[in-house]
Amino acid sequence: MSKTLAPKPIDQVVKLLEQRFGKLPVAINQTATDANIDCPPEHFRAVVEELKNHRDLAFDFLRNIVGIDMLEEGLACKYQFFSYKNRQAVQVTVLTPPGNPHIPSITDLYPAANWHEREAAEMVGLIFDGHPNLKNLLLDEDVRIHPLLKAHPLQKAEILQGIEDTTPGFTF
Amino acid sequence: MSIWPEERVHALADDGFETVDMTINVGPQHPATHGVFRMVLTVDGEKVVDCEPYIGYLHRGLEKLTENHDYRQAMGWWDRTDYLAGMACEMAYCMAVEKLGNISVPLRAEYIRVMMVELSRILSHFMFFGAFGADVGSFGTSFIYGWRERERIYDFFEEVAGDRMFPTYFRPGGVQMDLPENYQDRVRWLLGSIRQGLEDFDGLLVGNEIFVERCRGLSPVTPEQAIAWGLTGPCLRATGYKFDLRKDEPYSVYPNLKFDIPTGANGDVFDRFMVRMAEAWQSTLIVEQCLDALSQMEGELVLNPDLPKTLRIDSGECYVRTEGTKGEYGVYALAKGGNKPYRMKLRSPSFCNLSALREMVIGTYVADAIIILGSLDIVLGEVDK
Amino acid sequence: MLFADPLFGLPSWIDAIIRIVIVVLVMTVFVIYSTYGERKLVARFQQRLGPMRTGPWGLWQGFADAIKLVGKEDIRPKNADRWVFELAPYATFIPVLLTLMVLPFAENWGVRNLALGVFFVFAVLGLNIVGILMAGLGSGNKYALLGAVRAAAQMISYEIPLVVSLLCVVMITGADTGNGVGTLNLNTIAALQEDRPYIVLQPLAFLIFFTAMLSELHRAPFDIPVAESEIVGGYFVEYSGIRWSMFQLTEYASMWGFAVFGSVVFLGGWAWPFGVDSHWALQLATTFTKALAIVVVIIWIRTTVPRLRIDQLMNFSWKVLLELSFLQLIVNGIILYYDWPQELLALTSAVGAGFLIFLIIRHASARSTKGLLGTYRTLGASSS
Repeated sequence: MSKTLAPKPIDQVVKLLEQRFGKLPVAINQTATDANIDCPPEHFRAVVEELKNHRDLAFDFLRNIVGIDMLEEGLACKYQFFSYKNRQAVQVTVLTPPGNPHIPSITDLYPAANWHEREAAEMVGLIFDGHPNLKNLLLDEDVRIHPLLKAHPLQKAEILQGIEDTTPGFTF
Repeated sequence: MSIWPEERVHALADDGFETVDMTINVGPQHPATHGVFRMVLTVDGEKVVDCEPYIGYLHRGLEKLTENHDYRQAMGWWDRTDYLAGMACEMAYCMAVEKLGNISVPLRAEYIRVMMVELSRILSHFMFFGAFGADVGSFGTSFIYGWRERERIYDFFEEVAGDRMFPTYFRPGGVQMDLPENYQDRVRWLLGSIRQGLEDFDGLLVGNEIFVERCRGLSPVTPEQAIAWGLTGPCLRATGYKFDLRKDEPYSVYPNLKFDIPTGANGDVFDRFMVRMAEAWQSTLIVEQCLDALSQMEGELVLNPDLPKTLRIDSGECYVRTEGTKGEYGVYALAKGGNKPYRMKLRSPSFCNLSALREMVIGTYVADAIIILGSLDIVLGEVDK
Repeated sequence: MLFADPLFGLPSWIDAIIRIVIVVLVMTVFVIYSTYGERKLVARFQQRLGPMRTGPWGLWQGFADAIKLVGKEDIRPKNADRWVFELAPYATFIPVLLTLMVLPFAENWGVRNLALGVFFVFAVLGLNIVGILMAGLGSGNKYALLGAVRAAAQMISYEIPLVVSLLCVVMITGADTGNGVGTLNLNTIAALQEDRPYIVLQPLAFLIFFTAMLSELHRAPFDIPVAESEIVGGYFVEYSGIRWSMFQLTEYASMWGFAVFGSVVFLGGWAWPFGVDSHWALQLATTFTKALAIVVVIIWIRTTVPRLRIDQLMNFSWKVLLELSFLQLIVNGIILYYDWPQELLALTSAVGAGFLIFLIIRHASARSTKGLLGTYRTLGASSS
């Protein structure tokens, strides 16, 4: 049904992305394993739609979403995409400014994003606009903490910390 | 006295007969949830109308713990994600650290790793066959059949690493120590026993008409659906889509090894079972090749000798993906100096496969919902991190 | 001594009570040891040892379990309907006990020798479901409700083939008694099989009887009312201690009841192969050996096969068993009406049974279930 294709080298993917996204205010570089697109939140939807729909890109599979607390830089969200058709992988990095952790949800494009976004939302406090059901996933439903923030202490019971006060999402 | 206060009442238009949908809470303590997983089924008689999964009962804060431990210390936490195949998790973790720190691994260590990972894969699949048979209702017989092979593999793991479930045998840069002296005979005997076990399962379950009748045609998934829902591993291959990271994004010494990727045709529960069956058999072939390769390089190093006492990685970012036992087991790692990772994220296959459960079970019977859940082969340690 | 004669010339009702007490006590011991036996047997099927710690080879395990169960707290859920919940175990147990009253364990060995024995067994056993429904509805638990409703649906479906398959045998007794009138008396049915058991004449009816019996007993592969992996025990999920053990008692007592019943109706009971004049101990041993064989087969099946789904279960009853049982009935009727030789009965029924088995085997083998593992057993076999 499907042939075994060799994965595309990173520099080729980078070249391809540069052709496609040269006009948008995005930075294209690479990590140790993947090509990377640094993209501001307002252009994120456009980039993802292009990644999914364009024939040469055709990133049909969402692998993973990582929410990261970058301290004073704000919250970052990394999306790993993969294209079964073209056997290439890309990572999209969205850095949200401090105090405004809103990212458009991509659950309508990638149903697989549903739980990943919920997890990122509860773990670091990102808010995915347009997500159908942004409840806590791994934590208790009524717990309002974001454990993967660097400010969150590793030890001690959460209940004693006095940080159980925020709504889902992130407020400083 | 009402035991169902929360159900929706809806009237059937034809005869005006009112029926009540009932919600059934399955789990977190339920024999079919393979751990502490909970799903709330809304049923209309025996038909499932809706399903809402709840996870997180086994959440141990893996990622937070990893951020707060030394690169080598954190290893132990990662064993405990997919606790049926600890070595496969260690493999992914170590590969991520090696990628960040540009650490090379001796060839012998790579072969040892692949061998142990494939044995773990077999072990995990055997547990699946057993537990799945129990889900379908085979009163523990299949479970014990699976347990027999599992114990034998664990005995070997204990001999190699000193621990059974959580061996902590791999290290960034190799493996902890060389294999015991008689490992060639041990493993070859083990492979014979594993193949016998697979034949037994073939007879006990696949040769059983009721089993086939229960599983065949249940919750068929097309490749497009599987990709959209994020299904990976055997669940994806059961749909007929030939994709295996060991072949398609090869890592470690897999390019040197010959093996086939079993695929199903319909993506139904039966194909998921059979794909795992065939995969376990193929893994025995991989292990044999590893043994042959290892016999050529006896006495070589198994751990990179140039590593410092404390690993310090200045900067780097990677997303390492391996073919775990349940699907794509990916590790995202970000280093920003120091002896600890800045962020490590697990992309666990069970988590992603489970997120498609709701779409799969709607419209089936209650009994089917249980075996569809079983066929996804979730490990709650991996789902809940 | 005739069956109806009171022991030691006692009044009839005292005699009946004595006989009941004997049957119940013996049955209780049987139940305790059949739980032990089942655990041992299942363990051997599963490459384990089973109970080994309580006494030599774990022989006291059944008694230890019984004592433990009696000593446990009797828990009633808060939202259970008190009287329905508490009386349900008795409503399940008593019908099963009543069926034991008419079974002839040896010639004239039984509590009562009813002329309508077969009829009585089914009339009373049908009441069993009332207790199960009471347990399901009274527990205030949805698993229990589902289990009870499943049990009711299953019982309604499987009662019909079960009864029809027995009618086939009763028809033949009419030819055997010589006066053209069949009998429903179990003692007589057993005596009529002195030369050959009815399974020889009616293998198809026996197959139907056995399948429907498994279903009535809620045994694998028809154990969907108590499916552990789905509804965690079904209708008795909320019971504990002595009330739970009443359900277990019911399960095993009805298993033995059905086994004795089946051995009397189909396997020749106490009469075959040693004849009606053999010693009573031999007769007793014959009956129980046959019953034990049936019980062992039931347990064997339980350890081997998975569970059916509810719609498959219904399909199997209404689309396969019912048709076959009526076919058997009609063929029997034609053969008996024209007084054709009995070998013809055996032949037609065996053809039917063979056809059934052939269908199952063809169904199973036509699907080439071993394909995938077979393909990937060697390297490079699937280089497509």
